[in-house]
Amino acid sequence: MSSQSIIVIVAIAFAIWYLSYQAGRLDRLHHRIEVTELALHGQLLRRGGIVAELAAVPGIDPALCVLWGQAAHEALILQEVSSPQRTQVEDELTNILVMTLNDPEEVNEIRCNQHASLLLDELLQVSERIKMSQQFHTDAVRDCLEIREQFLVRFFRLAGRANPPVPVDLNVQIPSALFG
Amino acid sequence: MRIGIVCPYSWDIPGGVSAHVADLAEALIRMGHFVSVLAPAEFDDFLPDYVVSTGKPRAVKYNGSVARLSFGPIAARKVSKWVEEGEFDVLHVHEPLAPSLSVLACWAAKGPIVATWHSSMDKSRMMLTLSKLAQTAMEKVSARIAVSEAARTTLIKHVDGDAVVIPNGVDISAFCNAKPMFGWPGANLSIVFLGRGDEPRKGLSVLVDAYPEIRRNHPNVRLLIAGPGEPANILKSLSREDRASVTLLGMIAPQDKASVLASGTIYVAPNTGGESFGIVLLEAMATGTPVIASDLEAFSRVLDYGRAGLTFENENSADLAKVVSGLLADPIQRDELSVQGKSRAAEFDWSVVAKRIVDVYESIRVPGVKVEPDLTGQMIGRLGRGRITPESRSD
Repeated sequence: MSSQSIIVIVAIAFAIWYLSYQAGRLDRLHHRIEVTELALHGQLLRRGGIVAELAAVPGIDPALCVLWGQAAHEALILQEVSSPQRTQVEDELTNILVMTLNDPEEVNEIRCNQHASLLLDELLQVSERIKMSQQFHTDAVRDCLEIREQFLVRFFRLAGRANPPVPVDLNVQIPSALFG
Repeated sequence: MRIGIVCPYSWDIPGGVSAHVADLAEALIRMGHFVSVLAPAEFDDFLPDYVVSTGKPRAVKYNGSVARLSFGPIAARKVSKWVEEGEFDVLHVHEPLAPSLSVLACWAAKGPIVATWHSSMDKSRMMLTLSKLAQTAMEKVSARIAVSEAARTTLIKHVDGDAVVIPNGVDISAFCNAKPMFGWPGANLSIVFLGRGDEPRKGLSVLVDAYPEIRRNHPNVRLLIAGPGEPANILKSLSREDRASVTLLGMIAPQDKASVLASGTIYVAPNTGGESFGIVLLEAMATGTPVIASDLEAFSRVLDYGRAGLTFENENSADLAKVVSGLLADPIQRDELSVQGKSRAAEFDWSVVAKRIVDVYESIRVPGVKVEPDLTGQMIGRLGRGRITPESRSD
């Protein structure tokens, strides 16, 4: 075999290895995006559950009860993990929580009820988790897009049929009066 | 939750990172989680139950000092086996850029991975370490934690993406109910200094220079100095009368630290630099002793910018004398600082810090998705895997 053909074979072998290596990277990043997105979704569901329970605490005034109950219900019945609807519904829930839980005096009054107080602690915890979850998901999406935009990756369609990932654009504001 | 933690530095030599990992592991176990720690260790005999050793570490010069690390094919095999058998819900690696077990674990595993950055590194070393291969390992990390703002700043500057800042924890339980030493502070006022007397960065000379002025304002004040090192040279500048009111304890046993800190009307930390956190400040605050410290960024942060303790201009003895004299004259402010300091210290207790770390775990994990061995992204490996379906959440 001539030395030229050896060089060609080595070059082809290297190219194959490189493409497979990039495909592997991409695959792991898609996996990371999926898991972080499901984790975010899990925390959002948990928040819906906590707010629904909060709305059902005896002694909560009927106006709050309706606002919370309605918004939580909307969030809990939605099937999609990530969709514009999901974002819209979760943002509405966030807005209602921020609106109703921004006055420390009012929150203290709600906290007189021991059960409600425990639920507010859980709400703070889950809100912080949602905020982090969203950040970690966005990080993963950015890492992935960086590779997907490379010329060779696009040319050889290494990303396969997977749609380009999209960051979840949620309002993650935490009601100020929840921080005791 | 089943949590696997990787410590890149030798378990035998108590250092920043391994102490952090040990405290974290114990706090998580107290919370009811299953924890396994993978670390290099020279001696198997004295390891806690939760530690799995990868064998004897090797001493290597890294990041400006000699570190005891573990690497090579045998270590890599042990890491893979540990990942495979652990069935962890979350893998938590520490100092992921150190050429040791952490980066090996990132290679060997995929799934929910958390990484904690402890130190800040300069750019050239960071870029060198972040070669293609290390970068690939970093891409698998879902959540990043930095233990200080400094570590976070380096991370943002050199790697894409942000990190959550969660500081080191402190075990404050030993300090909460500390009793002062017999006869201290008694009816008199007293100032406590803790640290090496002959190490200029600890700032004893700043305090000693301020001391005559403080005694002019408060003639019944005493000074208690504890710590190794011979401070005689620094004390030479004091008059005989001032010198007579100084007590030298020398080196103290760790279990006596709390009662020494509790013996002061005020604790003074005049450190002139090189402090990244200020654990001893938190320990003093936990005993209820009001703290006055130099205005280093790390100290100001721990003191919540004046709310939980006072600061003076670094290396300025006149300013220190003014602040100390003012606080000695104001028992109401001392009570206020004592209360604020105690609650500030409680925020850094390991039980609180560990809860925040669990929040990070929960924000990236999905019940049913485990950390699994990674077959290095071969084409064939990709074909067999379908989409992830989460189990119903039951927590």
